[in-house]
Amino acid sequence: MRRGVAIFLTAAIVAAGSASAAAYLKLGTRAGTRTVTLKWTQLPIRYFVTDRGTTGVNSTQLQQAVQAAFSTWEAVPTAQMSSQFVGFTLSNPSSGDGATVIGFQNRPDLDRTLGATSFMIDTTTGAIVESDIFFNSAFTWSVAAQGETGAFDLQSIALHEIGHLHGLAHSAMGETELRAGGRRVIAAEAVMFPIAFSSGTILGRTLRADDIAGIGDIYPSSSYTRNTGSISGKVTKSGKGVLGAHVTAFDLRTKTLVGGFTLSDDGSFVIAGLDPGPHVLRVEPLDDGDIESFFDLTLNIDIDFKQQFSDKIVVVPKGGGTSGVEFKVVAK
Amino acid sequence: MIRRLTVVRTCRVAIWLAMAWGLIPAAATAQVYVGHDIPRAGNVEISGGAVWSRGYDLGSATAEETRNTGTGTGPFVLFATDTRADASIGLQGRIGVYLARSISVEGGVVVARPKISTALTGDAESAPNVTATETLTRLIVDGSVLLHFSGASFAGGKGVPFVFGGGGYLRDAHEKNEVIETGSEYHAGGGVHFWFGQGKHRVGVRADVGVSRRSGGADGSDTSRTVPTVAGSIAYLF
Repeated sequence: MRRGVAIFLTAAIVAAGSASAAAYLKLGTRAGTRTVTLKWTQLPIRYFVTDRGTTGVNSTQLQQAVQAAFSTWEAVPTAQMSSQFVGFTLSNPSSGDGATVIGFQNRPDLDRTLGATSFMIDTTTGAIVESDIFFNSAFTWSVAAQGETGAFDLQSIALHEIGHLHGLAHSAMGETELRAGGRRVIAAEAVMFPIAFSSGTILGRTLRADDIAGIGDIYPSSSYTRNTGSISGKVTKSGKGVLGAHVTAFDLRTKTLVGGFTLSDDGSFVIAGLDPGPHVLRVEPLDDGDIESFFDLTLNIDIDFKQQFSDKIVVVPKGGGTSGVEFKVVAK
Repeated sequence: MIRRLTVVRTCRVAIWLAMAWGLIPAAATAQVYVGHDIPRAGNVEISGGAVWSRGYDLGSATAEETRNTGTGTGPFVLFATDTRADASIGLQGRIGVYLARSISVEGGVVVARPKISTALTGDAESAPNVTATETLTRLIVDGSVLLHFSGASFAGGKGVPFVFGGGGYLRDAHEKNEVIETGSEYHAGGGVHFWFGQGKHRVGVRADVGVSRRSGGADGSDTSRTVPTVAGSIAYLF
């Protein structure tokens, strides 16, 4: 077995020219000429929690918040995975020790990073063999049931990081504005959006349709296979495929949004995990986050095109897929 | 919830039919002339023609994202949708048997191609407004009871008004027939037959207006919608 350590904090590796992957964004790695999805093949995921807290959060509260976040993901009916809290540890959440450790670390040098997830993976299969999460104790944290002014909600950030731990990359289902010092979230409809809600809120404790579709895609339960469907198609500009375009499907019945990306040079996309029924589609460039939050910067991500809707209502079949959707976008 | 509503609708149709049936003895006693041109028990009627259904609203929605604190109030609206089924004209074929002069039963098939349109407007990032569409292939297989008011016939018994009610199965195939959605349909209304000639083999015309209440199908399973219908057919009686 050839193993490599890879850190996927905000980037997903997708191989240009590979078959398109499914919706949202899943973490992947290159295995020869293929791209393989990162996922746990040994379940339950056995994890340790560091036996130290931070100001305002002790280790027991940390463990409870982490366990609540795991439980939230595991409650998704279209996904099937499990986890087990093994115990407290004095180890740091760092890769390479063979143990999955979640805990606080003081990283004042990372002044914009609330938390991060790292992996050790089998680079031939994409199997995750270890993953570690740290929450940056340079920030102020809270586990208060209704949130706490000026403190980031630990359970919300744990939910996001544990999404990564399961193999999800970032979602682009959100809007931001540029301000002095960086981007601020105006709105988001995915826990896996790369930029957190402001401190003091617990809005990030609830999974959205985009998150649910994504986790089901990686760990599909029989319900996922039976009850959801997919939309696939292409985004082209001047006859050529657009890489990295964000395609959003809006369910006219459930009023929910699920997004995906074009992940190959020919502009192909697949959005899976959708509820059956009619959807309308919208495509936009990846302009509400730093590209490196989503993709390897070696990829030629195209953000020079205008947003547009599809002029077709696309109906998702139960347990199947609708293909052939085509967007012809134009440069800005 | 849906099952209960269906039962209520079925009961209403049944009660309505019973009331209409109750009118018949009175109508029969009041009639002055029943011409021999009026269809009688054992006659079979085959008809074919067109049926128009009015369009209807399928609802509005907004694609919303959860707004961050301190960035405004209410959800962030990415764009808005407004969906409706356009009016459609379909083809219908029916076959019926007269059980008596005043009552017949019939079965029919309606095939139509209604268009569903969704207006996409108000995009937060200024995507141009678009109307997205798809065309359904709608099949309705139904059964009806017709009550013929022979006492109110005119033109020497050639024109006979009637009322009808019934229900059936609704099947919507989306474009490319990749997705099939089924539902139920109930209808009631009134109309008139006008028969040409006399004797066993006759041709006539039939016109009727009514309402059709539809549940399920492409409209979704949680709603029922009532639409007016107008139909015209050529009929053959033997």
